[in-house]
Order: sequence, then structure tokens, then C-alpha cells
Amino acid sequence: MSTVMRFPLLASVLTAACFLALAAAFFAALGKPPFEMLSSLVVYALGDAYSISQTFAKMTPILLCALAVAVPGRLGLISVGAEGQLHAGAILGTGLVLLAPELPGVVLIPLMLIAAAIGGGLYGWVPGMLRARLDVNETIVTLLMNYVSVLLVSALVFGPWRDPASQGWPATMKFPQGAVLPAVPDTRIHLGLLVGVLLAVGLHLFFNHGKWAQKIRILAGNRKVGEMFGLSYAFWVVALMSVGGAIAGIAGIAEVSAIQGRLQPTISLGYGLTGFLVAWLARHQPLVILPISLFVGALVAGSDALQLFAKVPAASAVIMQGLLFATALAVPGLLARWRTYRDR
Amino acid sequence: MGEVLARFDAVTMQFGDLVAVDKASLEIRSGEVLAVLGENGAGKSTLMKLLYGVFPPTDGTIVVEGCPDGISGPAEALRQGIGMVFQHFSQLPALSVRDNLLLAWPKTPFWKSRRNRATGDVLSKLRDMAPAIDPDTPVHDLSVGEQQIVELVKVLNIQARIVILDEPTSVLTPAETDRLHGFICQLAADGVAVVLITHKLRDVEACADRIAVMRRGAIVDVSYRGERSMQEIVTLMMGKTVDRKLPSPQPATNPVDRLVLQYVSAQAAGMRLRDISLAVGRGEVVGVAGVAGNGQTLLAEVVAGIQPVTYGEVLLDGERIGRRRPGETLSTPLGYIPEQPRENATVEQLSLADNLALRDLAEGNRTDGSTSDLLCRFNVNPPVPDKRAGTLSGGNLQKLVSARELGTPRPAILACYPTMGLDLAAIELVYEHMFAQAAAGAAVLWISEDLDDLLAAAHRIAVIREGAIVALETNDGTLTRDRIGALMAGMASVSEAA
Repeated sequence: MSTVMRFPLLASVLTAACFLALAAAFFAALGKPPFEMLSSLVVYALGDAYSISQTFAKMTPILLCALAVAVPGRLGLISVGAEGQLHAGAILGTGLVLLAPELPGVVLIPLMLIAAAIGGGLYGWVPGMLRARLDVNETIVTLLMNYVSVLLVSALVFGPWRDPASQGWPATMKFPQGAVLPAVPDTRIHLGLLVGVLLAVGLHLFFNHGKWAQKIRILAGNRKVGEMFGLSYAFWVVALMSVGGAIAGIAGIAEVSAIQGRLQPTISLGYGLTGFLVAWLARHQPLVILPISLFVGALVAGSDALQLFAKVPAASAVIMQGLLFATALAVPGLLARWRTYRDR
Repeated sequence: MGEVLARFDAVTMQFGDLVAVDKASLEIRSGEVLAVLGENGAGKSTLMKLLYGVFPPTDGTIVVEGCPDGISGPAEALRQGIGMVFQHFSQLPALSVRDNLLLAWPKTPFWKSRRNRATGDVLSKLRDMAPAIDPDTPVHDLSVGEQQIVELVKVLNIQARIVILDEPTSVLTPAETDRLHGFICQLAADGVAVVLITHKLRDVEACADRIAVMRRGAIVDVSYRGERSMQEIVTLMMGKTVDRKLPSPQPATNPVDRLVLQYVSAQAAGMRLRDISLAVGRGEVVGVAGVAGNGQTLLAEVVAGIQPVTYGEVLLDGERIGRRRPGETLSTPLGYIPEQPRENATVEQLSLADNLALRDLAEGNRTDGSTSDLLCRFNVNPPVPDKRAGTLSGGNLQKLVSARELGTPRPAILACYPTMGLDLAAIELVYEHMFAQAAAGAAVLWISEDLDDLLAAAHRIAVIREGAIVALETNDGTLTRDRIGALMAGMASVSEAA
């Protein structure tokens, strides 16, 4: 960690170089021309207005899920529940839209976002309470709860919420125009991105300035000492887990409303897990999460298009992400080790 | 005089800018107890870790007899018969003594059983040294002293020629210490070279054949037993003459009870407090003596409001300060020095200034930075307010906590082993501030393992055994070390009859 702080430039340049080399090797192993592939990856991610729109569309849920992990992470909690909270938010938000589809957009959209935040928030509150009151490990609980809400979405859209007009397709009815998040015209860049950026800035201020930031830092560093001086660990566990869940819930309803247009089982392409990795790469710093989630969003969008046009296997997108995270974690660590070895 | 087993030749060890060991030259000989004496941070442990191969020296050579290429790492050291017992034990608490010994033994076969020869071999040394330890006991059920013996047996099992003991007596009771001294002398008599790293003069008096004194990384003196008086050795160690002066207890003039424990009962992992009633008056110093592990830690945490009481009350000036249920938020008004400050009293990620101002930060107040001169007053090294607390050594962290808790007036002080791991000058400083608080009217509850200090400075001494206060004696000059020791060991009736 200290090496990353002392040599951020060297670490990032080395990481990028290693990632590009590994990605090139991966394409070569597939029998594709590596450099051509890499350059088309960049073109598909940032080449034209459509690509850029796709990149920001992918960045939005990743950014929100990363923030959802970073918020409890500031207290030292390891939540892997963004995926489940995303689905829980999608369920409650969709439920509200199905309940009152005729409401005008100015009323419906805020209500929908609030409902999604409550859904995700409750889904974070449960592991938070279990951790605070009974000392149950939050990582295990959030991991297991993911399956529940993901499958619950399937149960709903195969069952009671299925649109009769969809002819057997497992999905709810299409969202009315008043329930679709406003977007930049002709793109998929929607209100969710603005919410994510504002949240990142707000959380940065919250976690770095003021008396609450101090209290959280003390409790994160030494729970026993914090409690000795009158801080409540239980309160902050529940609060931060719930707030994190609420942010992931917003990611869920944003995907449903702005991207898919309806609730269906495939609303998330593993955004929860991707967000988890982004949050940890950024060491839970909201302002660092912004550029990393943009980069990962570009990678996801680019490799999606690559798979379509260059006939690489569908798993390539996931493999590219894996290569990125592995190098981003390994290179600074190896660098630090090499430096301590050299300093001897 | 035995043969030379290892020789340091102008060895220097640098960590960044810090010179931990400075051109040290020393011989280690078989059949001899070599005491390496020095204050905290004098470089004693580092010097011996170099021999054990934990890290290679920056400069100079270490020649080990029969090993011309030098020691490349602890594994190689073990093969060459060099064993080290660290301050922090490396045992698996859930496993039995037998399994711990087998784990540490290089020749343990893949399949172990109760009866095979390997098991008999690893246990033979244990039987010689401590027949009372049942090999089937899980290690977490052993006392600290017994764990230390198991650790020592682990080293002896590798047929060690050189045994290095790092501050072995810092966690032991007086009786356990005496027994360990006996073992050390026995080892030397068997021809093993024993290196005893310590800052306690009693260890040196008890068993050292040769004494190397270190100060600031350098070996300033090596002498044979009896060549120098203890006073001379202390002078060499400190660089100045220190004679520990404790204020003799003045009778508390105004006997108003401030810190009151009423029928306190509590429970924590493996320990319970039973019906403790105790009142500490204004300006009074009440010492708590006891064999380690008889409930002192729990008592401290209950009084500090960390662990909840199951029954009874802890009151300060009539107000409840004990916690009734685990989730209750409660800020302790006491000046509290817990044991193990790294885990119990500091936030390592925060700066020294923030750690000094933790109370304000926790209450949500801004800090004004006026706390920084505390660093100098309490000799925290380095006195840099922006430095992260995690970078400090254990002794300096203890001073940092003392500065926070004793540096401003408090209604009451709760000190749990406040001098553990401190050098002589720092001990004096802590005592000076602690007793100054008492003189200013604070009620002081002082848990200590040092009976001499308790007898010198406490008004009354309570003895804790198995979670209960078994005696509360007024320290009127007739109280003796033996009497307290007998009460601690639960032999009060015997000594009274005698």
C-alpha cells in the first residue's frame, strides 16, 4: 500500500503495461491478431458517440455498486451483497411502478427511486443488524442473500408479475414513459450516472471531513477504543450497511427503468461483483472509484462489442475483466515486495 | 568457560535511517548463560534475530561454529541447533500440548499416534522439565508460564546448542519466574549456550554468567558475573544513574469514596468476576495484586465500561459508569491505561495527535493541537504529532497512552499493568504522573504484577484470585511480599497458621 502511495505513477504504468501484455497474449491464444484486437477494443469503447454512450451505460451500475461496497468498507466491513441489493432495489422499485403506472413522471420517478433505495437498504439492513446484534459475519450473510433476491426476481417475472402480453417471455410489462429515467437524447446515458457521480462526491466529503468521518475512522481502526469513548459500533454497522444497500438498490432500478425498460432476470451482468472489485481496487475511496469504474465500464462495453463483431467467445469480456483485476492487485504488491527486497 | 559457538564481528543492522544495531561484537559460548541487558529499543532483540537469521545484517559478519556459510534464515538456524523463544508465542491454542510439540518437530512422521516413538521423543523433554503439564491439555487452558515452558520445550526438542529467550519473564508471576531461572541454569549446566534477552535486573542476578549491556544499538559493556555491581550495570544501561524513587504512601487525608464497585459480577470468555466490592477514596491508591489470568483484565474492562456487568454497579462519585448490556453506548470518564495498548487503547491508522485527542474526536469536537506538548512531556519517541501511531514501538505506544490518560486531570485512574514493557526512566515517569493524579484527588485503582512497587506506593492492596477479591490489606508497613504472595497463591490460611 505504501508503495502505491509513494509511486502511484510507476505502479499504474506497470499495471497498464502488464494488463495490455496479458490481453494481447489472450487474443493471440485465441488465434486472433492481438494488436488489431486491442485497438478495436479501444475503438469499440470510445470510438464514436454510440460507443461512448455504451461505456457510460455500463459504468453507471458498476459505479453505484462499487460505492455500495465502499460505504460499509469504510468501517472495515466486507460486503459482497451489492448484487442482491441491486435486485432487491429493482423489485421494490418495479413494484411501485406496477402499483401506480399512471402517475406523472415527476412524481413517479422520485417515488420509484426512493422505493428502490428502501428495497436495497432493507437488504443491507438485515446483514447489518445480524452483524451488530449477533456478531454474524456480514460477508457470508450478504453472499448468501444474493441468491435469494436474484431468484426472487425470477420467481416474480415467471409468476405474478409476468406481462400477459409478452407471450410467455419472463418479464414484467414495459415501463410507462413516466417511469423511465431521463437520459441524454439518443444515448443510454441516464440520470443514474448523475446520481452516481453526485453520490461519489458527497460520500468523499462525508468520509473525509467533519465529525462523523472522525468517528467512523476511530471505529474502523479500533472498535474497542471507539466504544470505550462512547461511540456505537452497532449503530454505524447498521447505518452504513443500509446506506450501501440503498445505493445498490438505485443501481438496480436504474438498469430496469433506463436500460431494460422492464424487470426481467438478466438486469445485472454481474455488476455487484464487478463493483466489489472496483471498490477494493480503489481502497474504498469514492473519488478513486469514479475513474476506475469508467475504465472498467469501457472495458466491458468494448469487449461486448468485440464479441459481436470480431467473433471472440462470449466469455472474453469476463476474462478481460479478470485479467485487469488480477494485474491491478498483483503488480503493486509485487512492486512493493521488490522494493523492500531492494531496500535491504 | 565453554567453546565459542557463535561470534558477532562488528555487526551493524540498519532499518532505513534507524541504526538498530551498531558495530556489535560478541561471543556466545556453550554452557554459559549470557544476559543481553538493555532498555526498550536498545537493539537486544534485533541483535539476536540476526543470529536466528530473521534478516541478514547490513554490515559485519556472524560466524556460527560448524556453519561457515552463515545462517540464511530461521529454518537454517533450527537445523544448526539455534532456537529462539519469542515474546509472542507461536502456538495453536486449540490443539493439545502434544500436538503443538509434534507440529514444531521436524522429524514428526506423517502418521502420528499416542504410542509411536515420535510422540515419546517429543514428550520426554516436557516430562523432564514440567511433569505437571498433561500433554493432552489444550494449550489455551495452560497458564502463560506453562505456555512458555511448552515453547521452550519446542526449542529444546530440536537439540538446540544455542537457545535464545526474548524477554521470557515479562509475562510470568514471581513463582513462575523463579522456576524459569532454574530451568535456564539447568540448561547451561547441560552444556547449552543460553542467551537471555531482558531488561529486568532480577533475571540477571538470578542466572547470568556473563552480562552484555546494550545502549542505543551498541554493546557498551561485557562483564562476568560479580565483576560489576548492579548499580554499575544500571548506570551503563541507562547512561545515567537512576534510583527508582516511589513516594511512600501518605495516609489519604480525606477518605471520601469516589470509585465504588458494589457486588460486581461479570462474565467473559473463560473468566468470571464474582461479587466484587471495593471502594477507592479520594486521593487513595488501591493496588490489585494477583497471579496473571485471575480476572484482572476483566475487572479492568468492567470498571472501564467495556464489558457489561451481569450484576452490581460501578460508580464514580455516585454516578453509574459500568455498562449494563453490550450494546449500550457509554464514554468512560476514567483515565484508563489498559494492558496491550496497541490492541486496547490506540487507533494505529490515526496520527499521534489524533490518538491523544481521541476523546474529543469521538465526541465530534475539533482538536486544537494543544495536546502536542504531551508528546515531549512523556518522552514519546519520535515526538512527531503527524506520525501514524502504528509505526511506534510497544514502549512508545504505552507512553502515548499514558500521556493521553494521565496528562490531564481525571476524577479517577484505572491502570492495568501500566509499566509493562517500559524502561526504567519511563516507568518512573508513569508512576510520577499517576501518583500526582492521586495527590490531586483522583481515586487510583492500580492493577500490577510488581509486588515491590505495589508495596512501596499503594495505600491498600487487594488480592484477586479466581475472579474474586480474596483479601484487602492496608499497607501500613507490616505487609510483606511473602504475605501477598501467599494470598495470591491461595495459601493464606497456611501462612496465617505459620
